[in-house]
Amino acid sequence: MSAPPPDAAPDISLPALNRPVDVRVEGLSKRYGPFWALRDASFDVHAGEILGLIGPNGSGKTTLFRSVAGLAPATSGAVRHAGEVIAPKHRKHFLYFVPDGIRPWPDQTVDWVLRFTAGLHGATVQARDEIVESLGLASLLGARLRELSKGEHRRVMLAVGLLTPQPLLMLDEPFDGLDLRQTRDVMSVLTAHARSGVGRTLFLSIHQLGDAARICDRLVLLSEGRVAGEGTLNELRARANLGEAHSLEDVFLALT
Amino acid sequence: MSVHRTRWLLEKELRELAASRSYWLLLLVIGALVGHQFMTATSIYTEASGAGGGPAALSQGLSPLEGIVVPTLGAYDIAATLLFPFVVIRLIANEKQTGALALTLQSPLPFAATMAAKLLALLAAWLVAGLAGAIALVTWRGVGGHLYGPETMTVVLGHVLRGLLTIGVSAAAAALATSAASAAIVALTVTLGTWALDYVAAARGGVIASVAAYTPSAALRVFEHGELRVATLLILVTLGVGGLVVATVWLREGEQVSRRVRDVVFALVAIVALCIAFARVRDSRDVSEDRRNSFPGADEAALRTIDAPLHVTVYLAAEDPRLVDLERGVLAKLRRTMNEVDVTYAARGRSGLFERPDQHYGEIWYQLGDRREMTRSTTDEIVLETIYRLAGRAAPSAANEKPYPGYPVTARMTAVPWIFFLAWPLVVMVTWWLGRRRGVSRRRID
Repeated sequence: MSAPPPDAAPDISLPALNRPVDVRVEGLSKRYGPFWALRDASFDVHAGEILGLIGPNGSGKTTLFRSVAGLAPATSGAVRHAGEVIAPKHRKHFLYFVPDGIRPWPDQTVDWVLRFTAGLHGATVQARDEIVESLGLASLLGARLRELSKGEHRRVMLAVGLLTPQPLLMLDEPFDGLDLRQTRDVMSVLTAHARSGVGRTLFLSIHQLGDAARICDRLVLLSEGRVAGEGTLNELRARANLGEAHSLEDVFLALT
Repeated sequence: MSVHRTRWLLEKELRELAASRSYWLLLLVIGALVGHQFMTATSIYTEASGAGGGPAALSQGLSPLEGIVVPTLGAYDIAATLLFPFVVIRLIANEKQTGALALTLQSPLPFAATMAAKLLALLAAWLVAGLAGAIALVTWRGVGGHLYGPETMTVVLGHVLRGLLTIGVSAAAAALATSAASAAIVALTVTLGTWALDYVAAARGGVIASVAAYTPSAALRVFEHGELRVATLLILVTLGVGGLVVATVWLREGEQVSRRVRDVVFALVAIVALCIAFARVRDSRDVSEDRRNSFPGADEAALRTIDAPLHVTVYLAAEDPRLVDLERGVLAKLRRTMNEVDVTYAARGRSGLFERPDQHYGEIWYQLGDRREMTRSTTDEIVLETIYRLAGRAAPSAANEKPYPGYPVTARMTAVPWIFFLAWPLVVMVTWWLGRRRGVSRRRID
């Protein structure tokens, strides 16, 4: 059975916010002229989990994220919740996506960008202060975004994502530009964010396989636009006929 | 909650504008432009009033509308053509280039709300730039110059709508083009295209002239003549808002390109259809103090009692200056006054190398019912006499008409250069500097 075209999606009632949700990505394909950036990608995102999307450069991770978020039109495929298709224009009520490599509002201060995001998305002052504290942004509040280093900017964009209320948060390369200590700190923050309170589903695109193995509950392996495997690290090892001593790198090389 | 969120969107756009160097440059330049225009206008006006010791012109000929208001605020036409487009383009193209658009598209409010916030912020920015013009007019009043409120506000309205048109065209260009530079080229090409249209229309007439009546320059001229023409107002609003709609449709990057192309085409068709419909609206008001767009009151009252449709056949080519006189001095007034006026332009252009001379050339025929009469005159007195003869009634008495007094001013305005070439740029630069200084001073405070 082929997946329905994305624009033919019927509207559905939106899930209650602040509640983790199950999402199914089904048969997502994206073509640029003769080149297929994504081919029939299907996988599940379970409520409350941290799901990692891993793959080499050019494997289609960003295209997949943009298509799932409804920011780029897919050639075919659908995103479903409870069996119902979520139309691209309604996905922003369901999930929030922080792309990699963006440098928005360069002339505004960190403080204002976080107040703006919190105000627009209805986050409380307390939530904002907690996120500022946990990501070590207090000393940067007065700085303009254009003045920040790559790692500092990355943490501000993470804060922007954490301030939004959608049940599913998608982060493209959240550890890119961070040093070892910062990466570990941010991992703690993300894990706490996913596990605390009602919890939140995190879907992370991660280039470094070691980082992915440390933080993710489950993994989706993407290679040349196709899903090469999906599951926990142990499930993937079993699928690749590899023992527990093998790392995610070995698994990835075996499956792709 | 929506209002609260909309306030954040509006604040974001205002802050982005305040951070835009192109906007501060516009503010800096507009002061000099307005100052130069105002000084030139007042110099000529006071000279004509006899300030330099020379003979004063007839006071009736001294109208502040065309002597001061129009040339001074004319600076905004230059700004709307050459400076303001870059401010608009920066606000939208930057959002695309920095990736902020991806976050904005995920705002809980509809994307149209974001674009509406941009429109409001840009209009506010245009009005702030208007402060220089306001200072000039207040200075004029301060030295005893006269301003007639309705006609002055009509010219101001014309410039606000001119700004709206720039916002629409530039926003659409910024959305459709791949970069800010390409968008600037597109916006300037549109402007050059309207100039070319004006040029061609002056020699061709017909449909081209009808379209050219709504180019930015031509539309602004209507307001500058002290006429509040509903059709012009509606069409400028439609084009300005329509450009924003096109930008909004195209920037929805999550939609299929084919769907966005279809929606843009649909929006363009709707814009053209609305403009054609609005062009048929005949309502207008002459708000000029000297009633330059109207016949004398007694004549207007008499003409309104003529029920029969007036058919006018004009044998004058579009490039003939007599046709310009006839249009402005007679036909425009007749259309505003009489119930039904039907004008046929029977002469072809005379500029072509192989055009044959027309034996009727120069004739203007007026027909009421089955009575026809020809005159070659383009002055309103002669034409009115002709129409009264055709209607079989006597010309009304103009005894009660109050003549326009005119407003000579001989005062010298020595402070003007200090205001526009020293105080204005200083205020602009200090405000910009103070705005830049906030933020930076708070970097890395523990």
